Amino acid sequence: MTYRNTRREFIQNLGVSAAVLPFLSNLPCFAAPNRSARKQRLVIIFSPDGIVPSTFWPDTEGKIVSFKESLTPLDPFRERTLLLNGVCDRIRGDGDGHMRGIGCLLTGVELFPGNVQGGSDTPAGWSSGISIDQELKNFLQRDPATRTRFGALEFGVMVPERADTWTRMSYSGPNKPVTPIDDPYQMFSKLYGRLRDQESLKSVLDDLKQDFDKVGSQVGKQDRQILEEHATLVRETEQELSAENKVDRGHPVPVLEPGVHRDNDRMPQLSKMQIDLLVNSFAGDFARVATLQYTNSVGQARMRWLGVEEGQHDLSHEPDNNTVAQEKLTKVTKWYSEQVAYLAKRLAETPEPGGEGNLLDNTIIVWTNELGQGNSHTLDNIPFVLVGGGMGFTMGRSLKYDNVAHNRLLLSLAHGFGHRINRFGNPDFCADGPLSKLTGR
Amino acid sequence: MPPGPKKCSVTDAPKVAAYIHDAFYSPLAQERNRPARVALSRLTVRQLKNAVTDLVGSFRTQVSPGEAQGLRAEYFRANQFRGEDRVIERIDPEVRFNYGQQGPSGGKFDPHQFSMRWQGSLVAPDTGVYEIVVRTEHATNLWVNDLEKPIIDAWVQSGKDTEHTASIYLVGGRAYPIRLDFSKSKQGVDDAEKNKDRPVPKASITLAWKRPQQIEEPIPSRCLIPTTFPEAFVVSTPFPPDDRSMGYERGNSISKEWDEATTSAALETSDYIAAHLKELAGSTDDKEKLMAFCRKFVERAHRRPLSPAIEKLYIERQFTTAPDPATAVKRVVLLTMKSPRFLYRELGTVEKDPYDIASRLSFALWDSLPDETLLKAAATGSLVTRKQVAQQAERMVADPRAWYKQREFFLQWLKIDQHPDLAKDTKRFPLFTPAVAADLRTSLDLTLENVVRSERSDFRELLMTNRYFLNGRLAPIYGVTLPTNAPFQPVSLDPKERSGVLTHPYLLASFAYRSSSSPIHRGVLLTRSFMGRTLAAPPAAFVPLPASLHPNLTTRQRVALQTKPAACMSCHSTINPLGFTLEKFDAIGRFRSVENGTPINTAGSYEPRGGQPVKFAGARDLSRYIAGSEEAHTAFVEKFFQYLVKQPIRAYGAQSRNDLQGSFRTNKYNMRQLTVAIATEAAFPKKASSFKGTQTATAQSPQ
Repeated sequence: MTYRNTRREFIQNLGVSAAVLPFLSNLPCFAAPNRSARKQRLVIIFSPDGIVPSTFWPDTEGKIVSFKESLTPLDPFRERTLLLNGVCDRIRGDGDGHMRGIGCLLTGVELFPGNVQGGSDTPAGWSSGISIDQELKNFLQRDPATRTRFGALEFGVMVPERADTWTRMSYSGPNKPVTPIDDPYQMFSKLYGRLRDQESLKSVLDDLKQDFDKVGSQVGKQDRQILEEHATLVRETEQELSAENKVDRGHPVPVLEPGVHRDNDRMPQLSKMQIDLLVNSFAGDFARVATLQYTNSVGQARMRWLGVEEGQHDLSHEPDNNTVAQEKLTKVTKWYSEQVAYLAKRLAETPEPGGEGNLLDNTIIVWTNELGQGNSHTLDNIPFVLVGGGMGFTMGRSLKYDNVAHNRLLLSLAHGFGHRINRFGNPDFCADGPLSKLTGR
Repeated sequence: MPPGPKKCSVTDAPKVAAYIHDAFYSPLAQERNRPARVALSRLTVRQLKNAVTDLVGSFRTQVSPGEAQGLRAEYFRANQFRGEDRVIERIDPEVRFNYGQQGPSGGKFDPHQFSMRWQGSLVAPDTGVYEIVVRTEHATNLWVNDLEKPIIDAWVQSGKDTEHTASIYLVGGRAYPIRLDFSKSKQGVDDAEKNKDRPVPKASITLAWKRPQQIEEPIPSRCLIPTTFPEAFVVSTPFPPDDRSMGYERGNSISKEWDEATTSAALETSDYIAAHLKELAGSTDDKEKLMAFCRKFVERAHRRPLSPAIEKLYIERQFTTAPDPATAVKRVVLLTMKSPRFLYRELGTVEKDPYDIASRLSFALWDSLPDETLLKAAATGSLVTRKQVAQQAERMVADPRAWYKQREFFLQWLKIDQHPDLAKDTKRFPLFTPAVAADLRTSLDLTLENVVRSERSDFRELLMTNRYFLNGRLAPIYGVTLPTNAPFQPVSLDPKERSGVLTHPYLLASFAYRSSSSPIHRGVLLTRSFMGRTLAAPPAAFVPLPASLHPNLTTRQRVALQTKPAACMSCHSTINPLGFTLEKFDAIGRFRSVENGTPINTAGSYEPRGGQPVKFAGARDLSRYIAGSEEAHTAFVEKFFQYLVKQPIRAYGAQSRNDLQGSFRTNKYNMRQLTVAIATEAAFPKKASSFKGTQTATAQSPQ
């Protein structure tokens, strides 16, 4: 793909006269049109219940020299990581902090009033808007050049089997929560089921043809014709299947370890399986957007494999001076950052099919949380950890903002994909446009 | 041929040759003269879908519906469905409640917090996509067919979202389990103690549906059963429609699209079975159990015991080659559903094979596979004599599936199975809303069912009854007094005006224009469907003369004027005088005596084949004539036979038709008895007699 046309030609093609040029130039979308032809991808990872600020945020702004304890697993990707401090979820309205935390995180807009009652505040229902992952999916699916089989895939790990405001973060529209798939086998059959069907079909066609011959020999001459026509169709199916199997899928069909069922103690295995499937689905270009949701807002994972017996949410309510609890919470957060690091590693190991570099070069991972900190339920300083080269942001840095609305980060992601919207979610928080400082030095 | 033993002259010879060619040797004549035979046919789409549903269903508990209607309801004074909080248990005929700011009546409830659960089954009258609608301001979940996963999950009540819809494809004539939960309360953290300081929000709930090609209505109690049926597997793969060129669906041809659809349906079925293996086969990995399941599955699909060779090919080979037993089951299912032994009826076996007889019976009566009882009868040698077969048919005709198939016949016979467009001129007929049109169809349905499923099941009553099912919305339009919200009930219309199905307003409105009646459409229906005559297509496409062009003419006069040319009269001399008898019914089937100030003339006539012309004063005269006409009986028997059996009646010999007609007469024109007789007759097809003429017809035709 080449982009040789000038800006003037570009504007002429839009049918906009030169008279409006000066105004257009002020809009970011015309100032720097997205000319990237690479396959850009986005993964949003959610882990719940806030973090421990003292073991998470670096002390200084600028180039990351070293990570605090919670983020040490990301050390191999220090150069490719961007930490955003001071980005706040400023959406208010119905629902308690956890509900708004997850429900407004990717939508940037208020929850509807409803019948789900939290520990405080008014009851609420679902989000009143679409989430950024689904918005970008729609954007990419509209254009044949970026359209993929699924557009977006919603992964989960141990998401409770109940649909309420605390368990959903992705929305295809107002009142339209998207259910993440937290069973790797279910995700596998979504991704590869068709292929397995074809294999099964192929395996029985020989036997079928054989029986057609036998049946054909039993019927009279006049009746044979319809059976012969039918047998011809069966043979055609077989030929078509063989032809289809030669098409390259870009990667071998993964083999899942059997019998890993939903169980708190299996979380590490489930997480690995889901991440492997996610990487495969990118390698096969099944989707360009993915979400990966660990448990839920108010999640109660018991990370016994780390020696943490308590539920995560219970721990997160412990005060700052309970050092044992804070240490445990740090361990928990560190485990989540291991998962992010594993995803980054797998992406970095996978060459970009038909392109330059590897998948991580063209993917941005956004790891986030519904709260800034568990014991205060604050929606300020929501952790946003970005990894990978998908957006062209300047990585390897820690940035501090002064209480900026997270809507602006959502806008940045949209713009990063060339989706030049000027508001996302509640427009009151979008006036200043995408976040500054993400690119450049 | 020139009559008499005269010698053929030179000028006559070419004419004789041409006649002989046209009558015996031309391709058309060969087609015409080919003896009708029972041809190898694949299952029709209806048959295939029914067969799969019954095949999978045969591994589940069988439930019989009983007479009760409505849903089992439980009312709880809490936000949970616990036995100790249950206040009321009863049957609700339908779910349409407005509680306002109160609790449900009939018990003591905190108006802030109560819950209900309705359970039972839903009967789908037609095949197609149903849109199910639940309207409520509070939390609700709805399950239809699959009781594991709700099709409406609105347990989170959010914003002004009070209308919840879901679509589901259902095969008609079957019952599907349903459960509806309602909860007026908050979820999550319980803060009920603060309720007394809060205003009571309003509460209501309605369970409604939009049947295929109908408008939304609360699901009526006649479509609800308090018994919970087992889940039914429904093949939702779309299929290309079957050939209907002979007036009935038949499986006489195949196409690539059809073959692909059978593949998708096979995959859909194998996926479903894989997902329900524990329930259907008793295990997901025990090879013995799974093989036993497969043996039954293949046997039922093939409708006969398996020979060792078949068992080896269909089952053993799959279990040897597949990586694991569960995959083997998937392959067995795929192979079976793609097999000619499943997909074809009448697969060249010996004439009096009891399993063939069983299949012929079940496909004729149910459009589906033989059930356990029938297969057992075949296995034990009790499906040999005509009497034994008739006894089975008698048993089977009581099954709801038999009525469903008969009902489909009546809709096709009356040419309304494709849902005619009933939009009428709203200025002339402001009362005729889409709701009225939908109600009329239900009214015809109930009126038909009332006659056909009655003890007498009398064909003559179908033509003569003046008892119609109307509701409060229809009553005032058709001259009856009922309360506005009255449900459907039998009412008697004036017997001088109405007589049977011919004068049912739905039929009359269907065979009419937007603002005027159409004697031609009505006449064609009478000629073809009731009298069984064939009509050629009109020589050209005609636009009906607009009424405004001849403001002083009645519809009858206008039709007579337009069809006056001799070329028209060859058919219209039959069509018009039949259609004119129904002229006292306008475009919405309302009775009238005058049109444009002119009294309506309903005089008509009919000239039967080989009989004297008959005159009718009007609709009732005509109905009475048809009820007693042998010609009409013949037509009815023939059409009914071909619809049930899906083979030409001629293939069964002239004697068959005469016998059937004879027994129809002896049984006082009992249609249910006729169904039994047809199924029995068709269970013993004659060997196709060879027609000498066509065997030598491949010879050169004379030049």
